[in-house]
Amino acid sequence: MADSVFVIRQRTGVLGALTSRKWWELVFLRIATYIILINVCFVFLFPVIYMFSTSLKTVADLADLTVLWIPRTFFWRNYELAISGMLYWQAARNSIIISLGSGILQTVACSFVAYGFARIPFPGRDILFLLVLFTFLVPPQTIIVPLFILYRNLGFMDTYFPFLIPALFGHGLRGALFILVFRQFFRNLPYELEDAARIDGAGPFSVYWRIMLPLATPAIIVVFLFSLVWHWNDFFEPTIYLFDQNNFTLPLRLSILSAALLQMLAGQGAGDEFNEAVIMAASFLVIMPPLIIYLFTQRYFVESVDRTGLVE
Amino acid sequence: MQFEDNFFWVAVLTGLAFVVPACILSIRVILSAVGVRLTYKFQRAMDGYFYISTWIVGFLIFLAWPLFQSLYVSFHNVKITSSELKLTFIGWENYAEPFLEDIHFLPLFTKTVANLLSDLPIILVFSLFVSILVVQEMPGRGIFRMLLFMPVVIGSAIVIRRLFGEGVSTEAIGVSVQTLSEVVFTYLQGTIADWVLDLVNRVTLVLWRTGVQILIFVAGLHSVPITMREAAKTDGASGWQIFWRITLPMLSPVILVNVVYTIVDSFTDPFNEVLTYIQTVGLTRDFRLGYAAALGWMYFASIFLFMALALLISSRFVFYAGER
Repeated sequence: MADSVFVIRQRTGVLGALTSRKWWELVFLRIATYIILINVCFVFLFPVIYMFSTSLKTVADLADLTVLWIPRTFFWRNYELAISGMLYWQAARNSIIISLGSGILQTVACSFVAYGFARIPFPGRDILFLLVLFTFLVPPQTIIVPLFILYRNLGFMDTYFPFLIPALFGHGLRGALFILVFRQFFRNLPYELEDAARIDGAGPFSVYWRIMLPLATPAIIVVFLFSLVWHWNDFFEPTIYLFDQNNFTLPLRLSILSAALLQMLAGQGAGDEFNEAVIMAASFLVIMPPLIIYLFTQRYFVESVDRTGLVE
Repeated sequence: MQFEDNFFWVAVLTGLAFVVPACILSIRVILSAVGVRLTYKFQRAMDGYFYISTWIVGFLIFLAWPLFQSLYVSFHNVKITSSELKLTFIGWENYAEPFLEDIHFLPLFTKTVANLLSDLPIILVFSLFVSILVVQEMPGRGIFRMLLFMPVVIGSAIVIRRLFGEGVSTEAIGVSVQTLSEVVFTYLQGTIADWVLDLVNRVTLVLWRTGVQILIFVAGLHSVPITMREAAKTDGASGWQIFWRITLPMLSPVILVNVVYTIVDSFTDPFNEVLTYIQTVGLTRDFRLGYAAALGWMYFASIFLFMALALLISSRFVFYAGER
C-alpha cells in the first residue's frame, strides 16, 4: 500500500493530474512550463545582473550604447571606490551586529513565546494571540515618535539596543510573523513527546529547550534567515535611531555614498571617476552578503518550507 | 558606542525579559512548597503564562505604551521647544485636517488603496500560478525554486527599490513603454490608459513582492493530500476539474493567509507613499508631531478595517478540511 502510494506520487508529482495525458501533451506542457519559469526567473534575476554588469563598466563603457551587457574591460576600480567610499568593512560590521544579534534573539524569543501559544491551554490564550496578530498590523510610523522618545530617555540613541532589546522580548521587525510561523509548526508536533518529558520530571523550560526546540529546526532555519535578511535590508529604523556615521549600517552608508565620494575625490581632482557604475558596485556589495548566505542555505531553506507547514 | 550612560537600562530591560517568567515559575514552586494543592489546570495555565509573559511585557513597553502615547499626542498640538515638548489640547482638529485643509494626504491614501486593490489579484494569481508550476517534479526544480524565493532575500533592499525607481523594471519585461503608451492611448480613455500604463510600469515591482507569497503557496500545495486527488481522478475528473474542485478549495486557507500578508505588507511597507508622507510631516519637514500621530492613527484604523473586511468576505469562501 505504502509502496503504491509512493509510486503514484512519483508519477504524478504534487498536482497529480498529468498521468492520463498523451506523451506529446506531456512534452508540450513540460516545455511550456520551462519557458514560463525561465521568463519569470529572468525577471527576478535581471536587476542583479544589470547591477553587476554596470558595476564593472568604465565611464566610456557607460556612455557607449554598443556595450550592453559585457563591459570591454572589467573595471574593478569601481569596487575599490565603493568600498572606501562606504567605509565598507566598518558598516558591514555594524550591519552584522544588528542583523545577527536581532536574528538570534528573535528566533529564540519568538519560538519560546510561540510554544506557549501553540501547545498550552490557558485562559485568555485566543485573545492574546489576536493581540499578537494585531501587532503585525501596526505600521512602524505610527509609534515611531513615542519609541524614539522612549529610547532617547533610556540613552539608547546611536546604539544597537533599539534593535536588540525588542527582539529579546519577541517583538522587533515582524516579530509577530515569526511567532505565527513557530506556532503553526509546533501545533503539528505530537503531544506524546512533551507528556513523556513531563512525566520524567522536566520543567517547563527544559520541555521547551531540550524537547521542542531541537525538533523545530526547519522553522528555526526559516525564521532565522528571514530575520537576518530583513534586518540587513532594513532602512527605516536605522535612519531613526542612528546618527553617528560610524554606527551606520550598509543601507545607510549607501544612501550617503555619493556625497561621501564627492567629498573624498574633490581633493584629488578626479571627479569623473565617480559615476553610476560606482553606485552599482556599492549596491551590489550591499546585497551580496545576504545573497551568499542564501546560496549556501537555500537547500535547507526550501526543504524547511516544505516541512514547516507554514500554513494550515 | 558608549556603554556608560545606558548600561543601567540595558541591564534592567534584559533582566526584565528573564525575571518576569522566572517569577511566574517560582509562584508555582512556592505555592506547592507551602503545601497548597494545585489543580492540573492551574499548573498548565501557569506554564502558559510562563512562556508568553516575556512577550506581554514587551507588548506593554514597545507597543501598547507607544500606541497610547501617540493616541494622546494626536489630540494635541505639539510645540517643540529647546528643552521639552509643549502640548496643548485641541480635540479632534488633527483628525479633521486631512479632510478640510490638507490637500496631499487623501489623494496619496486613495492612490495607495487603489494600487493595493489592483496589485492584490495580480500578486495572488501570479504566485499561485508559479508555485503550481514549481511544485511539479522535474529536472531543475531546485534551481527554479531558489531563484523564485530570491526576492524574499533581497527584495526589501533599498538597492532594489532604487533600481526600479530608475526604470530598470520595465526594461526587464521587454515592454517598450513608449510604443505601448501610444497603443493604449489610442484605444482607451485617458484615466483608464493612465491606470494601465501605471500598472505596466509597476508590474515587475509587483512581481518582486511575490517571494513570500510563492513560498507560502508552495508549502500549502505540499499539504494538500494526494489521496483526494487520486480519488477524484479515479472517478474520472480531469486535471482542470481537480484543480477547481479539490486543490483550490483545499488551498483556500492559504489564499487567505496570502491575502492578509499582502495587505499588511503593502500597508506597512516603509516606502509606501502614505507612510513616507506621515514621516515627512512628523519628523522632517515641519515637526507636526500631533498631526502626524493623527494621520498615523487614521491610517492604522483603515488597515484594520481592510483586514476585517478581508476576513469577513473570506469567511464565506474559505474551506477548512478539518472542520465538521
